[in-house]
Amino acid sequence: MTTTSPWGQAATPASPAAAMAAATTEPDLTPSRPRYDGKLGELYVIYLRHLVLMLATLGWSRFWGRTRIRRYLWNHFAILGDRFEYRGRGIELMVGFLLALLMLAGWGGLMYLVWIYVFHERPLASFGLFDIFSLSVALIGFPLAYVGHYAGLRYRLSRTRWRGIRCGLAGSAWRYGGLATFLTFANAVTGQLLTPLVSVNLARPRITNTRFGSLPFVFAGSAGDIYARYTAYYFLNIIAWVVAAVIFFTAIGGAVGGLGLDFTEDEIRKVLTRPSLRIILLVAALAIGLYIIFSLLILPLRCWWQAYLFRYLVSHSRAGNVLFATAISTRQMWGFLVLNYLIIVLTLGLGWPWVMHRTLRLISAELWLYGAPDGASIRQPTDLGPRYGEGLLDMFDVSGV
Amino acid sequence: MATSARFYDGETAQVHDVSVRTAANELVIFRLADAGILARWPIGELVVLGDVQHEVTPPIARKGAEARLVVDDPELRRQLASLVPQLAPLAGTRVPPVRRIAAFGATFAVLIGLFWLAVDYGTEYAAPLLPYSLQVKLGESVFEELTADKDECHGKAGMRALNDLANRLAKAADYPHEIAVHVMEGGPVNAFTLPGGILVFYSDLFDQAKDSAQVAGVMAHEIGHVVHYHPMKGVVRQYGIDLLVKLVSGGYTDLLGSLASGGNVLLALRNGRAFERDADSTGVALLEKLEIRADGIASFFEQMLAKEPKDAAAIAGIWSSHPPTAERIDATRRPSTGRPAFTDAEWKAIRNVCK
Ligand SMILES: [Zn+2]
Repeated sequence: MTTTSPWGQAATPASPAAAMAAATTEPDLTPSRPRYDGKLGELYVIYLRHLVLMLATLGWSRFWGRTRIRRYLWNHFAILGDRFEYRGRGIELMVGFLLALLMLAGWGGLMYLVWIYVFHERPLASFGLFDIFSLSVALIGFPLAYVGHYAGLRYRLSRTRWRGIRCGLAGSAWRYGGLATFLTFANAVTGQLLTPLVSVNLARPRITNTRFGSLPFVFAGSAGDIYARYTAYYFLNIIAWVVAAVIFFTAIGGAVGGLGLDFTEDEIRKVLTRPSLRIILLVAALAIGLYIIFSLLILPLRCWWQAYLFRYLVSHSRAGNVLFATAISTRQMWGFLVLNYLIIVLTLGLGWPWVMHRTLRLISAELWLYGAPDGASIRQPTDLGPRYGEGLLDMFDVSGV
Repeated sequence: MATSARFYDGETAQVHDVSVRTAANELVIFRLADAGILARWPIGELVVLGDVQHEVTPPIARKGAEARLVVDDPELRRQLASLVPQLAPLAGTRVPPVRRIAAFGATFAVLIGLFWLAVDYGTEYAAPLLPYSLQVKLGESVFEELTADKDECHGKAGMRALNDLANRLAKAADYPHEIAVHVMEGGPVNAFTLPGGILVFYSDLFDQAKDSAQVAGVMAHEIGHVVHYHPMKGVVRQYGIDLLVKLVSGGYTDLLGSLASGGNVLLALRNGRAFERDADSTGVALLEKLEIRADGIASFFEQMLAKEPKDAAAIAGIWSSHPPTAERIDATRRPSTGRPAFTDAEWKAIRNVCK
């Protein structure tokens, strides 16, 4: 019942392929880009349906909603013509969430005991159970957020297939959490001077532990390569802050002088009945001014660095004989980091699918792959990945997809 | 050359250009290049993974196996769907999104409205029904939180006088629970109410009050909050709104942030304008019912207003969200007739409650 008649069709000789294999001593570096062909309208149908169910189930449908959104995004994203397949299940996310909740409850119980036996009824202890719990969660929450981030990545990769082969993430999430906590802390203590070291050393475990089937990814970056650029960024950033501060305070001086003269007698009388109004207006004006100066001077500089870092990380990664590269620009990074954030905030979250859509289009436009994987040598992994997903991520992270 | 289908064998990452045909009770997958058979899947074990709304071409698999068959050719997909019942989902097409967006969008808006009504209803009718012991516990924990850095006053006679009036007022409103009054040393010149009938006064209020009628007025106003369960309603409303925001944003906000933010509870206890008006009128009514001088509320507001306006804003602080307005003074103005709320001895004890 096929459209063509394959049984009758003569087998085309396999010789051209064989000849090519013999001839190629140079690596095949045919460039290609991923393709994203999702439609924003269709994505919104899925998202709005998700929101309706969220309201109807008081939020319990979110595990299934997320899964549906992922299925759509994954399947409309293709590399070398082959689409990704997302095969996670909502119930896996829910079980993961419940387990994390249980963990948190256990921790709460432990803190309760600590409070009862250590702090309670002591004259010095002016803080309550709630303080101890929030403080302890803030303390463990920081490393746990990294652990959750890694574990969540592992879950998503293990549910991702390309050409029928599962992806995966090896390595210990706890080790990553410890490393990330230590590096972030060290970076904070040294005035952010370790940023290149932190970026590279946190990217490495995530990249080199990523697997496509039996094929591990390789990362060849080192912090030394990017320190020159970072140093430039670091000092430009300081200069920008100084300039911003100067502009800002000059503006305040002008504004205060100007405003005092601008008020008429009548307005002042009006203002006197609600004395805080003028101050509120002034504070609002100052905040907006500060924000504009900040976004004009500081954020582009930050995007300049982030774009550079991203280009570096991508171009120093490979999967077998497939190389990656990107020429993402500062402006594009601005659109990704700043504009996307503004979209989410200004639409109260309703712009989320649009942000997802923009991001995948950016990736498909700016990520270049060179070469194709050797399909026959890549095997299905025996490991099935974690049984449950993303519990910690759900608690500690404002997770993306 | 249109490849009609591709086959991923599930063992390696190779892509096979294939086509399929149905034979007796099985699906035969064969290479286009040399017609070599790659797989024979029993019809009964076929599954379609996903649906056409989410997947462009939902992959076909054999139950429990890793291999995938992706039929790219729409004509072939249609044929398979009509021939094999298990593959029927392949035949669906995507409907244009505009109408579904409109439908889901409208449903979403209606649900938000319903949710809002439910929060309102829950606030008004369900909040007072929460077990009273729970309300007390909540109130006590907030009290501890708020007053950790302040000294509480325990002057016996003063506290007795305050508690006595508070409970008389509450009883006059048929409030079935005990009221507990606390006095904290210092300012601001204010008082507030917590869930579970907990009243908190700052001693500066007693120092700055012109007469005992003003203190009685403030107390009556706070009892007004108590008997209407305003603090509890505030908490419930705040949580409802929090939940709504979370749901509307798709659940992508972090749970922990909201768990840890005890600040929300504090914020929730800020009384709304309607609550204030209710408390004012109930307070005056209770004083009148007990035949006590009821001009204290208005005169207290007048005194606040006469002071520095800046000061009024500071007093408004967290606890009473609205500065006294002329409107509230007009609504609560009463003649200075009636019995005094406290005896001279009691009033003296109250003023010395922190000494
Ligand atoms: Zn009030």
